[in-house]
Amino acid sequence: MLAGYDTLITNIALAVILAYSFHVVLMAGQLNLGQAGFASLAAYTSTLVVPTEPLFGSLSPVLVGIPVGAAVGGAAAFLVGLPVLRLRGVFLAIGTIAFGEMVRVFMTNAEWTRGALGLRVDKWLTVDLAWIVVAVLGYLFWRLGPSRTGRAFAAVREDELAAGSMGVDVVRTRMTSFVASGAIAGVYGVMFLYFFGRITPATFDFSLTLGGLVTAVLGGYLVFFGPVLGAGFLTAVPEIQNALGVEAGWIHPLITGLLLLAVILFLPGGLSTLVARLRPARVRPDPGTEPDGLAPLPEPGTPIAELRGLGKSYGSVQAVRSVDLEIRAGEVLGVIGPNGAGKTTLVNMISGLETPSAGEGEVLGVRLGAPSHRFAKAGLSRTFQHSKLFDRLSALDNVLVGTHPVTRSTYLRRLLWLPSARRDERRALALAWAQLRRVGLADRAHLRPGALSYGDQRRLEIARALAAHPTLLVLDEPAAGMNHVEAGELAALIKDLAEDGIAVLFIEHNVKMVLDTCTRLVVLNFGEVIAAGEPREVAADPKVVEAYLGAEDEESEHV
Amino acid sequence: MLQQLANGVFSGSIYALFAIGFTLVFGILRHLNLAHAAIFTTGAFLGIEIATRTGIPFWALLPVVAGIGAVAGVVLERIAFRPLAGRDDEHFAGLISSVAFGGVLIALIQARYGTEPKSFPYEYFPNRLFEVAGLRVTLTQLVTLGLALALMLGLAWLVSATPLGRAMRAVAENPTAARVVGVNVDRVTAGTYALSSGLGTVAGALLALNIGQTDRGLGASIELIGFAVIILGGLGSLWGAMAAGIVLGLAEALTIHYFDSTWKGLVPFALLFAVLILRPRGLFGHIKVREV
Repeated sequence: MLAGYDTLITNIALAVILAYSFHVVLMAGQLNLGQAGFASLAAYTSTLVVPTEPLFGSLSPVLVGIPVGAAVGGAAAFLVGLPVLRLRGVFLAIGTIAFGEMVRVFMTNAEWTRGALGLRVDKWLTVDLAWIVVAVLGYLFWRLGPSRTGRAFAAVREDELAAGSMGVDVVRTRMTSFVASGAIAGVYGVMFLYFFGRITPATFDFSLTLGGLVTAVLGGYLVFFGPVLGAGFLTAVPEIQNALGVEAGWIHPLITGLLLLAVILFLPGGLSTLVARLRPARVRPDPGTEPDGLAPLPEPGTPIAELRGLGKSYGSVQAVRSVDLEIRAGEVLGVIGPNGAGKTTLVNMISGLETPSAGEGEVLGVRLGAPSHRFAKAGLSRTFQHSKLFDRLSALDNVLVGTHPVTRSTYLRRLLWLPSARRDERRALALAWAQLRRVGLADRAHLRPGALSYGDQRRLEIARALAAHPTLLVLDEPAAGMNHVEAGELAALIKDLAEDGIAVLFIEHNVKMVLDTCTRLVVLNFGEVIAAGEPREVAADPKVVEAYLGAEDEESEHV
Repeated sequence: MLQQLANGVFSGSIYALFAIGFTLVFGILRHLNLAHAAIFTTGAFLGIEIATRTGIPFWALLPVVAGIGAVAGVVLERIAFRPLAGRDDEHFAGLISSVAFGGVLIALIQARYGTEPKSFPYEYFPNRLFEVAGLRVTLTQLVTLGLALALMLGLAWLVSATPLGRAMRAVAENPTAARVVGVNVDRVTAGTYALSSGLGTVAGALLALNIGQTDRGLGASIELIGFAVIILGGLGSLWGAMAAGIVLGLAEALTIHYFDSTWKGLVPFALLFAVLILRPRGLFGHIKVREV
């Protein structure tokens, strides 16, 4: 019955494969538009190295070509990625487009490619094989979604800074998605070659790239079957038009354009939003097990961080100067100081977001200046002054990202359905649920951060940080914007955490709360430590009073 | 050699004209408007149709084309960008919706004008040739270069010295703050698109006049070069776009002179690639590189 439709069905499969090469980068928030270049390199290489007749009498050239294409595309993406992945957003997009165009011009001018005439090979691709490749890709992406790697992709897409602070190696994750994209584009190039039997440099031009991008976004890049929906939809339009007997050549692009506009305007998240509406995603329930296998925290009193003469300047502005500080396991260290005193800069250096410009230090065995994910791995976890939650992930998934430093990669094992992967995922889930309960958000686990109240967002950020089982928890103004009741609950939580042996370093303006919870207090002003020690004594220090309230004779007016 | 350099300057001025509209929208609104190429093509067809039907002289034709382009720009913003404001995927979605809008425009062009190339009426514009210091330049080339410079100066004046320009700069700096202090951000946004598309259509009509005809692929053929120009010049920098357009035209001319004309396609992208890696803010960009 389908016999007459072989070409059509294979075309859809090819469109799906091309769209997956965009899907994988969009998942990680990277706008790579160099796929045409990778596909072109792979297809042309395969005309050089793949034998024209079946190997050993039975292995079809397309089967030999697919791994060759994946290898060439992936390797090319790696080499291109080394320089271009320093770019982001539209700069990355335009840089990769430029790469694609350079490949096209090169292929047009080289001798062996016969320029614009193109090359011919025998058509070896069958419809079955095309869909087998689609099925394999679909499987790979299906298993990727709820895995640790999939969460790392999503975290990098939503907020690179927060992802790094949760222990995700951002550079590596971006490169992984980039190389995967190149490899899939390479497979597409080879399959195109053996399906149409002819390629020219213009086969792999900018419109091919735009087509793939449109398909991937139209289908939706937040669910694994998005490319299938997108490709099916775009291929269906001209077919329906033919069936209706509408001939004019301009109708097809017009309808495609209008439908594309309608989908993008009314279905954020693409066509897959429709499917999601039919069957709302369920929140994965608490497995009810205790999160086991967590490393014990160091004995209270053990030094876990030491800073010597630490300084940071931005141009001529000295944000922090010669700070000496030691942090011990199990203590609650408050950092206060007027606005602009350098508090956030200090914790940013401690957590790897800023490189010190003077002095040195070590936190949990990691030297300052290392990237933030190294500190997270070592046991430092933090929140931000302005919440940096992952907007398009549920509260539970936000916290699951937090488990990154204390879990192992599950993706490859999930592909093979190994029970140990399932065990590890359940353990991460148990860890995440435990933190949600701890901050009182268990009943809101399915909500996105945007749907939570401000106070709840701050608590969710703390839950996410706690999911990493930190030795040192850094909170940057956690009570800002909270009411009295919420701030009181937060103070109780901090004391509770300290009893568990977690060292807490927190910046706060709510002096009453600081005095209630801290075991030690540090006061910064103009980037320098002006007082440190037992909280009540420090708070009574005239220098501190002056820094906060101005000169002493003005004090009475303010109190 | 000198002749080729002169030709380089002329094609560079077209690149620059294409790019300033493009870079204006990016610089002020952070939108990468992929419908700009279609707007450009629309300008070429509109110019030819109006010239053919009414026979109005060249100096009157361009304002008419620009006016229609400005309206198209407002519609474009209304349909493809404004509904997306504030969405999580605003930037990806804006790319796609502008591609879709461009696709619709090109389809409508095909519906109205068919698939065959269209030409300006015979001798619509005096085909005069000048010889200056051994260089041969056509009147069209001179007019194009002059207009490009004039439009650039006009735009620079508008952005730096008028109330609208001040509002635009405020929106570019911080749209929320601009709204708070009473700038009508929606109107500034619409105005930016009107300006950008007006410039785009004029650029399209001028290119069509230079080559004598146009087809549906006119915008697409220059779109990628436009990317190169705005990156080289520094995204959002108007003077940078102008200078980079001419630098690119010259670089292409030199490539043709020393190598082969088929390799000239490599020039913009090799330059672009090098600049992105070595100096992401562009050769002439002074604005802070903001990530999108």
